[in-house]
Amino acid sequence: MSDASATMNFARRDAADKLRGRTRYTIDRYLPGMLHAAILRAGVPSGRIARLDLTKAARMPGVRAIVTAADAPGMIGIGIADHPLFARDVIRYDGEPIAAIAADTPMQAQAALAAIDVEIERLPVVLTMAEALAPGAPLVHPDWRNYEVLLEGGARGGNVAWEATVVRGDVDAAFARPDVEIIESCFRVGRQNHVAFEPRAVVASYEDGRFHIETSTQVPWTIRNATARLLGVPASRVRVTVPPVGGGFGLKFDLAIEPFAALLARASGRPVRLVNSREEEMLTCLFRENADIRIRSAVTRDGEIIGREAVVLMDCGAYGGEQIFLTTMTAHTLGGNYSLGAVRLVSRAIYTNTAPNGAFRACNGVYNTFALERHTDEIATRIGMDPLAFRRRNVLGDGDLGATGQVFEGDVLGPMLDRMDTMRNAAAAPPARADGRLYGRATTVGTWFVFVGPSAATVNMNADGTATLVTSGVEIGSGSMMQALPQIVAGTLGLSPDDVIVRSADTDAAGYDVGVGGGRTTVSLGAASLSAAQEVRTKLLKVASEMIEAAPEDLVMRSGRIEIAGAPGSGRLISEVATRAQAQMGPISGTGAFTGAGVSAMPGCVAGHFIDAIDIPVFAVHDCEVAVDTETGQVEVLSYRVVQDVGRALNPRAIRGQIQGGVVQGLGYALHEEVTIGSNGRVCQNGLETYRLPLALDVVPVEINLYEGAPSIGPLGTKGAGEVPILNVAAAVGCAIANATGKAVQELPLTPPRVLELLLDQRPTLCLPHIAETWTENLVRPHGAGGSN
Amino acid sequence: MNMGIDLTVNGDHLTSTSDPVTPLVDVLREEFHLTGAKPVCREGFCGACMVLIDGDPTPSCLVPAALANGCDIRTVEGLAANGGLNPIQAALEACDAVQCGMCFPGMVVSLTHLVSTRPDATREDIRAALTGNICRCTGYERIIEAALLALATA
Repeated sequence: MSDASATMNFARRDAADKLRGRTRYTIDRYLPGMLHAAILRAGVPSGRIARLDLTKAARMPGVRAIVTAADAPGMIGIGIADHPLFARDVIRYDGEPIAAIAADTPMQAQAALAAIDVEIERLPVVLTMAEALAPGAPLVHPDWRNYEVLLEGGARGGNVAWEATVVRGDVDAAFARPDVEIIESCFRVGRQNHVAFEPRAVVASYEDGRFHIETSTQVPWTIRNATARLLGVPASRVRVTVPPVGGGFGLKFDLAIEPFAALLARASGRPVRLVNSREEEMLTCLFRENADIRIRSAVTRDGEIIGREAVVLMDCGAYGGEQIFLTTMTAHTLGGNYSLGAVRLVSRAIYTNTAPNGAFRACNGVYNTFALERHTDEIATRIGMDPLAFRRRNVLGDGDLGATGQVFEGDVLGPMLDRMDTMRNAAAAPPARADGRLYGRATTVGTWFVFVGPSAATVNMNADGTATLVTSGVEIGSGSMMQALPQIVAGTLGLSPDDVIVRSADTDAAGYDVGVGGGRTTVSLGAASLSAAQEVRTKLLKVASEMIEAAPEDLVMRSGRIEIAGAPGSGRLISEVATRAQAQMGPISGTGAFTGAGVSAMPGCVAGHFIDAIDIPVFAVHDCEVAVDTETGQVEVLSYRVVQDVGRALNPRAIRGQIQGGVVQGLGYALHEEVTIGSNGRVCQNGLETYRLPLALDVVPVEINLYEGAPSIGPLGTKGAGEVPILNVAAAVGCAIANATGKAVQELPLTPPRVLELLLDQRPTLCLPHIAETWTENLVRPHGAGGSN
Repeated sequence: MNMGIDLTVNGDHLTSTSDPVTPLVDVLREEFHLTGAKPVCREGFCGACMVLIDGDPTPSCLVPAALANGCDIRTVEGLAANGGLNPIQAALEACDAVQCGMCFPGMVVSLTHLVSTRPDATREDIRAALTGNICRCTGYERIIEAALLALATA
C-alpha cells in the first residue's frame, strides 16, 4: 500500500548539528539548581559490609542527599531477580555500588564519598568459571534458591545462574557410528568493552510525585519498569525521556545508573546529574562476556555432519543479567550455519565475583561463530575436504532444520557464498610479497537473528502536510530513527522523509517498546510505524475521494499530493486534504503495533530457552586476508569483504556505513581489545591507554555486497542490518590467521604476544578441565526433567 | 586569591573564575556552556575534546585552564561563519559519515586544521593524522573519504 518508494540514500538530519557541536547529549544537559552525584563503589570483589556510617559524610560541605540499600528494596534480573541496586550486606564484585551522594558540585560529592566510613570483611572469592565450578566452591549467591523466578524452565544450582539445553535426535548413536570421524575443538575468548563514547549518564528530577529520568539508554521502557521495581514504586510514577545517545552497542540495553539519580532527586528535591567516569565505564561496563567452549562433531568422510554436541560456559559476572537470556542464543548460532543430524547443546551462565557482563552487538553470536567456524575448518582438515566446499555442502538451505527443529525458509547462504566467490574473483590478485610474513585467507559464514518483540507507533497527520511519528525509539547513532523510519512513513504517505517529524523517546508519549538493539529498530518499530501510517493513509484517501470525486482505490499518494492514478497533477495537495479532514472530523492520526509472529520449534527439544526459534534469521558471509609478522606476531588485515543478508535495503548507504563500522569493531575484538582481571578481582584496563581500540591506521575499506530478497516478516521485507556486521569478524580473522600460520587458533583476542606464542609453539594447547568429558555430566539437571530448578 | 583566567573563545573575550588547574574542557563546558568538546577519556587518547589553541589542535582535557590564559581558543562551535558548515563539516555531512557523533567535534577540529595546513595531504597522511582521534562507530572509512573530498574541493 505505497505509491512512492521508501528506498533511498536519505541523509540523516542530525548530522549538521553533531558536526557543529550543538547536539545536546545527556552528558551535555543542565537544569537550574542541578546537583551532582557520585557513587561509592566497593574496592574488593567479595566481602561483607561490617559497618557503613554516613554521619560524617552527611555533614560535608554541599551535601544534599545520601542514599543506600535501604532506599531501594527491589531486585531485578532476566529470568531470575538476583540483582539489587546497592550491595546490601554482601559485596559480590569490585566496583559494586554501596552508597550514592548528591552535592552542589562534583568535587564536593567526591569529597563526601571519601568521608563515608565503611568497613568490609573479606569473604572467599571466585574469579574464574573454573573456580566457580570447582567442587566446594564458595557460592556467589548462597541464597540463590530464594530468588524470585521470572521465567520458569531454566536449570539452576550453586554458581550456575542459568542453564539452557537443546537435544534433538540421538547424539550418542551418531557418535557411535563406525563411518564417522570425531572432531573435538576447545576455545576460550575474553571480554570486550563497548567504549561507547558517551558514558552512562542520567539527569533525574522528581516533580508532582513522579520521577523524570533523562538518560543515555537504548531501552527507555526497561529503565522505567526496572527503576520502579528497584525503588518499590508503581511503574507509572516513572517517566523516561532520551536525548540523542552517544553510542550504545548493547551497553545501554540494560538499566545502569538511573535509579541512583532518581533516588537522590527525590531525597533532595533537586534535579540530579550522574555521569560515569571513563574509569567506572572501563571497570564496570556490561562487557561482552568471556567464555569457554567445547564442540565435538561426528562427520562422515564425505562431509555430512551426523552429530554435534557442545558445552558453552558464559561468565555472567556477579549477577545474571543478559547472559541468562543469551544462553538461548547458543542454539541459534552453534546450531546455525549448517544442517545437522543429531545435536545437543548446553549453555551455562556462571556466577563469578567479577563485574557483571551484558549485551554487546551480536553478543555471544560473535564468539560462537568464531568457535563454530574454526571447528568447521578443523573438520574440513580432518576429512581432507576443501573448507569452502565443506561449507557449501552443509550450509542451511530451504527446509533445513535448525538446532531446535525450526524449519528454515529459502536458500540464502548458498547464493551468498556464490556472491562472495564473484567478489573475490573480481578483485585484483594481491601482489606476491616476499617480506617474510605469513599470508592467509578465510571465508566464514554466520547466522544471527532479529530480536523482534513488541513495538508501538502513532502517526499524527498535521494540517500543514507534515506527519509526526511518535514512538519510544532512540537514536543511538545507527541512523534507523533518522533514516529508515521516516522513509517508511514518507513512502506510505507520499511525503518527503524531511516532512516526517520524528519524536524523541518519551514513555509518557509513546507506547511500550522493547528498545533499540538486536537489529529490531527498522523491523519492529518500522512495522508499527508502517501500520500507523497505513491507517492515516486510509483515512486521508477517504476524505480525498470526496474532494476529488474519485474512488479511494483509484487514488495514489506521491510527491505531497493525492492524485488520480495515471493523472499526474490531478487531485489535491495532502495538506489540503489534511486541513479539510481536520475541520470536518478532527485531526487524523493512526496507530500501529507489532510483535514477533513466533516460529515454532520441535516439541521437547529445548529447555530453559527464552525463544525456541528465531522469527527472522540473518545470515552473513565474510572473507578476510591477513599477513602475520613472524618476528612480532603483528597481524595486518589486507582485505575484508562482506556479503550480508539485509532482506531489503531501505537505505543502502546507511547500511554500508553500519557494515564498515561493525567490521572494525570486530577487528578490535579479534586483534586488539583485551580485558584481563587481576588477582584482586579488578579489571586491569582502566582507560584507553591500556585498552587498545582500532585506529584509522589499523583498518581497511570493507568491500560490501548487500544480499536482498531473503524471506523476512519485517516491514517491506527488511531485516535488521546494524547489529550483524560484527558477527563473523573474529571468525574470519581467526581462521585466516590459522590458515596463514598453520597453528590451531583457539583463543581471542589474537594480540601480537599471543600470536607470537602460537608461532613459537609456546602457547600450551587449551585445556578446559571444568568442562566434563561426558556431555550429560555438565548439566545441573537432565534435559527434559522439567521443574524450575 | 583567584585572579581570573582570560581567554578568547571563538572570538569572544571571556574570563573564567575556575580553579587554575581545572581542565580547559571543563571550563569550556561547565562554565561557558560550550558542550561541543567531549571529555570522553580525559587522558588525551580519544581526541573528542580537541580544540584549536592559538591555531594548534590540542586535547583540552590535558590543558589546565591557567595555561591557556591569554590564548586564542577555537572550539567546534566556532569553526564556521554564520552558523553554516566549513568545508570539512560539509564533506562529512555529504559522505553520511556521522553516526553517534560524539567523536566528531574532535574529528572536525583536527581535520579542519589538516585541510587548512596540508592541502596536498594523501589518504595515508589523513589516516596518520587521525591517530589522535578515535571513532567507535564508523570504522573511519567515510571520515577519510570526507577529508579527501574536502581537500579536493578546497
